[in-house]
Amino acid sequence: MSTQIHSQNHMMNTTPYVIETYELCKTYKKIRALQSLNLKVKPNSICGFLGPNGAGKTTTIKLLLGLAQPTGGSAQVFGKDIRKENDEIRRRVGYLSQDPRYYEYMTARQTLRFTASFFYKGPRAVIEQRVSETLDLVGLADKADRPVKGFSGGERQRLGIAQAQINYPDLLILDEPAASLDPQGRHDVLDVMERLRKHTTIFYSTHILDDVQRVSDTVVILNKGELVAQGPIEEVLAWGQADSFTLTIKGDSLGVETRLRSQPWVRSLEEMSRNGRVSWLIRVSDRELAEAKLVPLALAGGGVTICEFGCKTQNLEDVFLNIVKESNHEYK
Amino acid sequence: MSTSEALLVPRRERGWRMGLRSMMSKELAAWWKTRRWWVQCLVALLLLNGMLAVNLNGGRGTPNAMENATIALMVTAALFVPVAAISLAQDSILGEKHSGTAAWVLSKPLRRPAYLLAKLIANGLGLFVAWVVLPGVSVYLQLLKPADGYFTALRIAGVMGLHYLNLLFFLTLAMMLATFFNSRGPVLGISLMLAWAGPMPFISGPILKYAPWLYDILPWKLLIDFNTNRQLAFYVANGQPLPTVTPIIATALWCVLFTAVAIWRMSREEF
Repeated sequence: MSTQIHSQNHMMNTTPYVIETYELCKTYKKIRALQSLNLKVKPNSICGFLGPNGAGKTTTIKLLLGLAQPTGGSAQVFGKDIRKENDEIRRRVGYLSQDPRYYEYMTARQTLRFTASFFYKGPRAVIEQRVSETLDLVGLADKADRPVKGFSGGERQRLGIAQAQINYPDLLILDEPAASLDPQGRHDVLDVMERLRKHTTIFYSTHILDDVQRVSDTVVILNKGELVAQGPIEEVLAWGQADSFTLTIKGDSLGVETRLRSQPWVRSLEEMSRNGRVSWLIRVSDRELAEAKLVPLALAGGGVTICEFGCKTQNLEDVFLNIVKESNHEYK
Repeated sequence: MSTSEALLVPRRERGWRMGLRSMMSKELAAWWKTRRWWVQCLVALLLLNGMLAVNLNGGRGTPNAMENATIALMVTAALFVPVAAISLAQDSILGEKHSGTAAWVLSKPLRRPAYLLAKLIANGLGLFVAWVVLPGVSVYLQLLKPADGYFTALRIAGVMGLHYLNLLFFLTLAMMLATFFNSRGPVLGISLMLAWAGPMPFISGPILKYAPWLYDILPWKLLIDFNTNRQLAFYVANGQPLPTVTPIIATALWCVLFTAVAIWRMSREEF
């Protein structure tokens, strides 16, 4: 299954995508880490790249950066081929790896100076100014001249974000940027991302779905190396939401369940709780029919009291789990 | 575009040189702005000049004292100094592959040949100063009086040149191996085996029997030759013409080949 969610604007947009992949594949020996990935990221968007562990997120990022080579398909960043023009791509990209590592003997300032030296040759004073403002931006100004060796995980992560955007990148690729940060650090990182939004495109992988919901405008979901959903966040959130209902009853739950399951428009019935009352999450294929018939069906056998009925409001975590779960069923 | 961004002058290097300057600065700083330089210099002086001093003093008054002392120096240079080059090379490549710093810098505008060459040049230069120039000058001074000026500066420079060629062989070999393997065992094992197999009498027997030509194409004859005692350094030290230059040319070619293979392999490495 591939849940492609496109808005009309998205499809009509003639602006070239910042990232565009075509059937991109990566196989490690016999393990297919990435399968036929067709990914599109629009300029100046914040794109959350989601997926369970081992879904292929880091592999995709490494392919885009030329740190690994695809075994099939192709991809372009800024319209440039990732195999043939990767040098040009890396000039315009800032990258934070999942587990950022630096030369331990360097200070934070030296690390940023070293990073900047790959992009700029001068003037020295302006480079120093850029280094200082970047240190300020990530809250490391007071630790600027301490060796990286003594940095905590959170401080390394902040330094990672600083080095990733020292070159005013047109595309910022962040692999789990908030992974080892405390709540304040996470908040700060999201703030930085919000601030950078108007200057750059941000493509970032994460497990923290609240963060994605807060800052992203598009979402890509991978599962087992395959793209299972892609689109603007509102549409991904809406996916499944209109087609899901919650029903809580007291009484003959078995009869209700049997009647509901026999309806062709009921796609799935998931029991959520059973504490004297029974709650179900009901996914349907016909929303209007469901709205009209779910309550009468539940009451049809008698001996049943409806405690609660409504359209299910899902957050990104629900949508993510549902999509991954459904795609897992398809693999089986 | 912000004001500071507009003022910055972008780098425009292309091809294999992309990022070379930045990486080289970093590698040179790792040598000369950390304690590495004085640790290496100190170990070199203790090992090479210490060995010479001990032998000069210990053999004082004996007829072959000078010859024995210089042989001891060359044995040390041939058998033990390559360990420094091997260890630096494998730390430089394998250490960075393991720690993730290689992947980090290679995500910047840095070409893989530039990454390797920066390491090779900086380590080559560091080894040259710490293990060749400094001990070489000290050896000259140490031998000046006891040898009564027999070992001229030029002869000492010639011997130290052979010593440096030997070091470069093991530096480039270990770098190449580090691009192929992900653990230190094979890099250390293969490099040390090559360093010790030829000169060691108890290992060299089968080589002399089945493949004696290896002595002409490997650096084994440059500094020591337990089998004939006619190492090339002996001729250089005594100002005599060299019986053959094949091992010198072959060693230099190996260095070039190892570097080329390392660059080829590194270009295919996945992180």
